Amino acid sequence: MTHRQKLAWSTAVLAAFSCVILFAGFFAPYDFAEQDRDAPFAAPTAIHFVDARGTLHLRPFVYGPRDSGPTTAIAAADLQQFYPLHWFVRGAPYKIAGLITSRVHLFGVETPARLFLMGSDAYGRDQFSRFLYGGQISLLAGLIAAILSVSIGILAGGIAGYYGGWLDGLLMRGGELFLALPWLYLLFAVRAALPLHISQWQVFLLLISVMGLIGWARPARLIRGVVLSAKERNFVLAAHGFGASDAYLLRRHVLPQTYAVLLTQITLLVPQYVLAEVTLTFLGLGVGEPMPSWGALLTSLQQYSVLSTYWWMFLPALLLIPLFVVFNAAADALQELHKSVPL
Amino acid sequence: MNRERLQSNRNQFEPLLRVSGLGKQYVQRRAFSRQKIAVNAFQDISFAIFPGKTLALVGESGAGKSSLARCIALLERPSAGGIELAGQNLLALNTKQLFPMRREVQLIFQDPSSALNPRLTACEIIAEPLLIQGEGAKSQRRARALQLMDQVGLDPAWERKAPLEFSGGQRQRLAIARALALGPRLLILDEALSNLDAANQALILKLLAELQAAHSLSFLHISHDLRLVSEFADDVAVMYQGRIVEAKSTRKLFASPEHYYTKELLASVRSVESILLERSA
Amino acid sequence: MRYFVRRLLHSILLLLGVSIFSFAILQLAPGDFFTPLSLNPQISAQTVATLRSQYGLDKPFPIRYEHWLHSVFRGDLGVSFAYGTPVAPLLAVRARNTLLLTATSLLLAWLLAMPFGVWSASRRGKWSDRAGGIATSSLLTVPDLVLFLALLLLAVRTGWFPTGGMMSAGFDDLSISGKVEDLGAHLFLPVVGLVLATLPPLVRHIRSAMIEVLEAPFVRAARAHGIPEHRVLLRYALPVAANPLITLFGYSIAGMLSASLLVEVVLSWPGVGPLLVDAILAKDVYVVVGAVMLSSVFLVVGNLVADALLVATDPRIRTQQIN
Repeated sequence: MTHRQKLAWSTAVLAAFSCVILFAGFFAPYDFAEQDRDAPFAAPTAIHFVDARGTLHLRPFVYGPRDSGPTTAIAAADLQQFYPLHWFVRGAPYKIAGLITSRVHLFGVETPARLFLMGSDAYGRDQFSRFLYGGQISLLAGLIAAILSVSIGILAGGIAGYYGGWLDGLLMRGGELFLALPWLYLLFAVRAALPLHISQWQVFLLLISVMGLIGWARPARLIRGVVLSAKERNFVLAAHGFGASDAYLLRRHVLPQTYAVLLTQITLLVPQYVLAEVTLTFLGLGVGEPMPSWGALLTSLQQYSVLSTYWWMFLPALLLIPLFVVFNAAADALQELHKSVPL
Repeated sequence: MNRERLQSNRNQFEPLLRVSGLGKQYVQRRAFSRQKIAVNAFQDISFAIFPGKTLALVGESGAGKSSLARCIALLERPSAGGIELAGQNLLALNTKQLFPMRREVQLIFQDPSSALNPRLTACEIIAEPLLIQGEGAKSQRRARALQLMDQVGLDPAWERKAPLEFSGGQRQRLAIARALALGPRLLILDEALSNLDAANQALILKLLAELQAAHSLSFLHISHDLRLVSEFADDVAVMYQGRIVEAKSTRKLFASPEHYYTKELLASVRSVESILLERSA
Repeated sequence: MRYFVRRLLHSILLLLGVSIFSFAILQLAPGDFFTPLSLNPQISAQTVATLRSQYGLDKPFPIRYEHWLHSVFRGDLGVSFAYGTPVAPLLAVRARNTLLLTATSLLLAWLLAMPFGVWSASRRGKWSDRAGGIATSSLLTVPDLVLFLALLLLAVRTGWFPTGGMMSAGFDDLSISGKVEDLGAHLFLPVVGLVLATLPPLVRHIRSAMIEVLEAPFVRAARAHGIPEHRVLLRYALPVAANPLITLFGYSIAGMLSASLLVEVVLSWPGVGPLLVDAILAKDVYVVVGAVMLSSVFLVVGNLVADALLVATDPRIRTQQIN
């Protein structure tokens, strides 16, 4: 398929995914902190269309609470009691964008049945719901950190490329420092500097700031390159000949040339930063309990018993793969399109 | 439109532009050493251009002509010498004082594609000088841009088109329209015709002649093609290795050239013509 | 030679900068190693204060940094609060383990990536290249964490490999070949993980570097002269591609170190990684600084080696210096 098509579908998928994540409360049958101590480490609930007697039901259903659990030996008596899946149910309240409260969920089942699409964890919390809510944290962290990095990159790269001289040398040496270090070590060191027991929001913000501040060097270098070549273009010279100020030249002629690079950089950085946040949280250094960051969902896998017995706990990790595939597809398409645009 | 003009000089015997002893040096440091090398782009350049007249500056590529053009257009600072525009010493002015002066001299580049921002529309490109110099409201600027398009022979209905959609010759017309926006008195053509085919060259030359007659414009026409500029120029200055080796009126230059380089240039022009003549005979 | 000395000085300055930077960052933290102690009602504030001054934690930043610099020259790199021992010997052991892991993986990764990358470049556009590209991209999109967890799962489920550590209990009693075998068994999964994590971008870069060289006019001229393809590749293109490839080598060391941290933690390989994570959680400041410095030293040394190789192999750089 052409690059345009590739960009189109990857953007569409990302947009759809983001929509679901944004309205996590609606798509998730349960709240992320809702526990069910009677159903720890429950396997993903099986959804049936045909009951024990062989009758086809148009509405899918699940069996009672004992249908979940690592050893699903459902007593015959339990097979009589089934709980159909309902759409647009009233459930736990949640907030949309922190403002509007709602109780409507896309689907659910009546208690005491549980609908664990991705199984449950040690506390009986629904992994699917936690995955959706976790997306809000991890994706948002990745996005904001990427924007921060790129913003610093524009500032540093723009100044270095446009004014040159000692400023350029200073900024690029500084950037070299950041590029030379193994970024994960640096991230950890900076994380070490932060207090370990502060509010979740503060951790979140600090984490984003740190990631953003570390990764500015590569975008800056790329933007500097674009600015260097752009400022030599004759149309910039011509505008200078009319008496244009530096600010005008940058704003009107030079910086617009960097848009393509900016977009590509952001698309490349977001998955990297999402991964960085997941890794940090996985190791206990990120946004911790009870916030369901994707890293937190994977923490329990560090115990061998969990890893070998409860296979569904691995699912959040596997779901990351297609997400990154889409991101990379978008970034690839952007890069190819950008190359063919005549400057 | 409020404009501060310098003393309007209608005296045909006073030069509009006087350049004296102009020179430009580029200093380079060799890699890994402290040695500095000075490269002279041009030295000791002096000439004068009178109102409504055309001076052709001819020389081979790389003789420093573009550098000279940029200095006179106030895009670069020369290392030595002086530039006077209607008696005003331009090099003594600071940036703020130089601002209104920029309206008087404009430069047309060799490659119109690189001189026009591909992301802007034709109207925006032509109106840009007005915007920068703060002339008039948006509607007035647009009106003036359309007027200029008409003047250079472009269809005003094309105001929203991007430069890519114009042909090479039309792009150069766009560039000329833009250069005229502020009503300059001197236009510098830096190899402005070199990238065009012969038909377009002729058309643009015709346009320039009309503009000169209508607005009493002066031209500094820089080119490597002696034959081309001789049709149009009142005076010719020949540049060789960064210096002017001969400067005369066109007629005198062709009649009695002195410097050997001038003679070579003329000889090559004539040989082409004589070959063509022989072929057609 | 002068070029080399300059690079050396540059690297030392870089390391100095890193040390100040990491030291400074850690000072920003409110609280320190002894804060949890101070929260304990059974320990008097007096004791905590004494402990603090004993370890010099109550002095201002420049003095502490100076002390730390002294400790660098002394060779002990300060003291670990958690272990109660000097940092240097602690780091040395861990560093050796990390070096073993990363050096093996680096070597293996390059040994695999080079032929594959070069071959892909020579078969550019054909389906074999395309298939290879798809395989590389797929591997690329698998996050490192997922990869390492999958390997751990493999170990736990199948029991073919030990799930952690570097040696089995009773290592010292084994014969030489037994020791090698045991080490190899423990090393296997981490190396596989690290190689798989760093292979895809490496292959991509090698391939694109080779493609760029193969498109150069002199290669086309060589082909036109009738020189067989494999000779063109090995004797003409590859030596020219050596320059960007060696630079790439320098960068790959950085990436390798970052990835090794994670693999060591997930697969319980006793390297610098787990030490760092624990030190961070405990706010064991000097260990953290030491570990960060160590990784930077690895990096800088790696890049210096790459530079030396560059000078040795690229005649253009040598001529530049002569002028």
